[in-house]
Amino acid sequence: MTAGASSGSAPTAAPLGRVVATERHPNTPHEFRFWTALESPVGIGTIVRVDGTHPVGGQIPRVYGVVVEGFSYTDLESALHDVMGHDGEPGAPALAPTERTEVRLYSAAVLRQLPEEPLQPVPMGAVYLADDHDVAAALRMDGYVGVESGAAIPVGLYTAGGMEAPIYLDADFLLGPEAAHLNIAGVSGLATKTSAVEWLLASLFAHLPESKGSVAAVCFNVKGPDLCYLDQPGELDDGDRHLYDRLGVPPAPFAGARFFAPLKPDGVSLNTIRSHESLLHNVRPLTWGLREVLQFAEVLLNRDDVDAKADALIDFIKERVIDRDFTDAVLSAPHRVRSFADLEAWFRDLLTGLENGRGGSGSEQWRTHHIATIRKVRNRLSNISTRCAGLVTDDGTPSDLPWGSFEDRAVYVVDVALLEEDAQDLIFARIVSKLREHLERRDLGVKHVVVFVDELNKYAPGDGPDTYVRKMLLDIAERGRYLGLVLFSAQQFRSQVHRRVVGNAGTALFGRMDADELATPGYAALTPATRIKLQTLSKGQLMVRHPHFTQPVFVRFPRPAVMRGRDGAERFPQAADVTVEEAVLRSLRVMEPSLTLAWVQDLVALYGEERVLAARNACLRERPADVRAFVERQFRRVVPSRPASAPAVTPLRVLPDDDPYGI
Amino acid sequence: MPGAPTPGFCAFLDGTQESELLGWRGGAPIVLGHVGAVIRLRADRRLVTWRRPRIERAIYAPWSYTPKAPWRERLPEMSLVDTSFDDDGAPVVRHPAAFLERASAAVQAARERAELALAREWCTAESRPLLVDGSISMEAVAHSTVAVGLIKSHRTLYVNADAVPVVFALRAGERTSVIRITPRARPSVLSWYLRMREPAGGDPLWGLVRVEVSDEGRDPGPRADTVSRWVLAEARPLSLPDPRWDTLVYPVRSCEELLRGLRSHATH
Repeated sequence: MTAGASSGSAPTAAPLGRVVATERHPNTPHEFRFWTALESPVGIGTIVRVDGTHPVGGQIPRVYGVVVEGFSYTDLESALHDVMGHDGEPGAPALAPTERTEVRLYSAAVLRQLPEEPLQPVPMGAVYLADDHDVAAALRMDGYVGVESGAAIPVGLYTAGGMEAPIYLDADFLLGPEAAHLNIAGVSGLATKTSAVEWLLASLFAHLPESKGSVAAVCFNVKGPDLCYLDQPGELDDGDRHLYDRLGVPPAPFAGARFFAPLKPDGVSLNTIRSHESLLHNVRPLTWGLREVLQFAEVLLNRDDVDAKADALIDFIKERVIDRDFTDAVLSAPHRVRSFADLEAWFRDLLTGLENGRGGSGSEQWRTHHIATIRKVRNRLSNISTRCAGLVTDDGTPSDLPWGSFEDRAVYVVDVALLEEDAQDLIFARIVSKLREHLERRDLGVKHVVVFVDELNKYAPGDGPDTYVRKMLLDIAERGRYLGLVLFSAQQFRSQVHRRVVGNAGTALFGRMDADELATPGYAALTPATRIKLQTLSKGQLMVRHPHFTQPVFVRFPRPAVMRGRDGAERFPQAADVTVEEAVLRSLRVMEPSLTLAWVQDLVALYGEERVLAARNACLRERPADVRAFVERQFRRVVPSRPASAPAVTPLRVLPDDDPYGI
Repeated sequence: MPGAPTPGFCAFLDGTQESELLGWRGGAPIVLGHVGAVIRLRADRRLVTWRRPRIERAIYAPWSYTPKAPWRERLPEMSLVDTSFDDDGAPVVRHPAAFLERASAAVQAARERAELALAREWCTAESRPLLVDGSISMEAVAHSTVAVGLIKSHRTLYVNADAVPVVFALRAGERTSVIRITPRARPSVLSWYLRMREPAGGDPLWGLVRVEVSDEGRDPGPRADTVSRWVLAEARPLSLPDPRWDTLVYPVRSCEELLRGLRSHATH
């Protein structure tokens, strides 16, 4: 006679409960009840094992379950009897020499039955606390943990009754292709959501085997300093270190983290909280040229406002005007549009030409585009440069993420926290689109990219207008797994996120939840006890849903080994606004410490702020070995001005007194 | 009675019996008897079972008038008890009612034997006070200073007629003086009446118990006070919903519940 489990589960010393079933509360194939001693360590979320007593098909059935509800009662028939027994004095019970017999009864949802066929009601039998092997079998992790072809990513440690068992996610169901995406919900203020994602990325980087391909993460920092210090070590206590050790993840920050942020509207300083001089070595400006912005102009344009005619003109500008030598009879001169300033000059020239009838054109129409449409498009596009000042560079040269050379196990943080909403949308839309393009062409540099987006309530709400960003998130959620584009998303209210976005997330994590949120229909499948537990989860606790788990499981995870945003902001205060010279020096000195302010001031005096900034940006993009030489090469040779020497004065000839002709 | 109620008992003994008429064979009743006895030990205010409960099941029938063989075949694990004769060995009148009555008495005797065996076991092994549900006037136990009997029913009042009003007038927490009860065939015991609860509605027997202790020592008064305080301490928690809750102490009810559970388990 063999036990149902195929695992090498060691026999547990003593049972902690016994299965009980009555006619009124019979066992079913998916649920059973058991009672325990009062001191039993069983609680909501505890995983237990039932060993049957009668063989089925020559095999003793073994059932794994997770506790989802608890009951406690005594032999009292009515509360009144207890009141009478204590003369209405609540303090009196302590005087009674005997405690009433109390029953601890638990209801457990079946996680797995062995053998799996025939599927029968849970048999009577002893109930044991699940050990490591039991947990692996119960959650069907035995299919990918310790299996050569599998890839198990630790998500946390399941603990109960002094037992600990690592809980693993299946990488094929986290990154694809079987399923993909992860969504995390939880109330704000506990730092659970961000911490969980940071921890999970560390775990993913540590455990994803090379055979499953390379992986990088692009994290959008949408609020506060949350993700700005991923490369800095954080504070861990012994409990955290134990968790890291038990789960096999090195407790280290993300050494390969790179940070990207647009410039402030002045075009001088980086628009990020991570602007402290000692952290600038891996912060790069995120600036795009006109072409990059116009490709995604529809993100910023109101669709009700920009009609097909305007669209046609924008397409014409994108295809025929930008980055080309453009000439037209209406224009006073050839134009080469590389920046919004150039574009504005082009519009001005065009409209002036049309108004003046230059080139024999009619005043109302130019190349099938009505002058009103031209004015409208000019107005809308000019607005973009205003709204996205700092992101859009006037020199036309973008500074962007390293498309094509993404590195394995690297994190790319795009800080958009200080930007206007429109600019955030634009950045998000363009970066995700570029990721998608490169992954489709398989030339991004890595096989998988995890995109982390917080505040999904804002970016992919269940109701409200169908924005470009929401469409993109839906696209990732529904089709990203085939490309290796994986969405890790977070929000406070899961019920208010677009159903298809969260519905496509194969893995769902839940931190502490709000009672109102738990009252929504999406949580109806959870028992009241599980919902109460969700309301009271502490920091570092999560409920995990994963395709292999038939029931959610509660785990603990360590604090991420990175500096918390709040600590980072205190330790590395944001740099104050500085002069152009100081800003240039600060960003270049990271690469070449010998540079001096006087050198920069000379450059500005010689070539002007605009050109020096352009040179600085080029330098940040290229990261040359010789910074000084590189910067100086960016300027055309200019002959230094010299004070004009006083012209030689030819003395007037003194007329001879005797010259009558004055010669 | 001086002093406040004070818990003093460490263990509680009770037994149960059940008779079930399985059928008739040749006018003879076939009775299934189930008896059990258990001691519940109180530790840290919780009750746990002391050693193994005694459980016995047997078939009671006048085997002189009906064959045993079919029953031996069908229920080989059960002992067969003959009800053809009374305790003195005289034949029971061949009447169905007489056989039923005899079977009932035999089952009761079996229960008393089970209780006695367990009580003896305790008295031999332990020196801590044991509360026995019922009389302790059993050989060996009646001489033990650790056993205290608690009698809840009063078909016989062990006082003379003049003292009956005194017993009925007892208020909650009051006891009578100690009397010596000397049965003919059993050892003598000391006993007194004790009112556990204020008589409700004028019922003279409400909350009235009789306590038995061994007939030891010269001045039983202080001992009666101490034991009475122990008994009064057991007035809580109430044994509701049991209808005998005015006199049934909770740990004894726990013994009954446990035996009922075991009976149910055995039946299944």
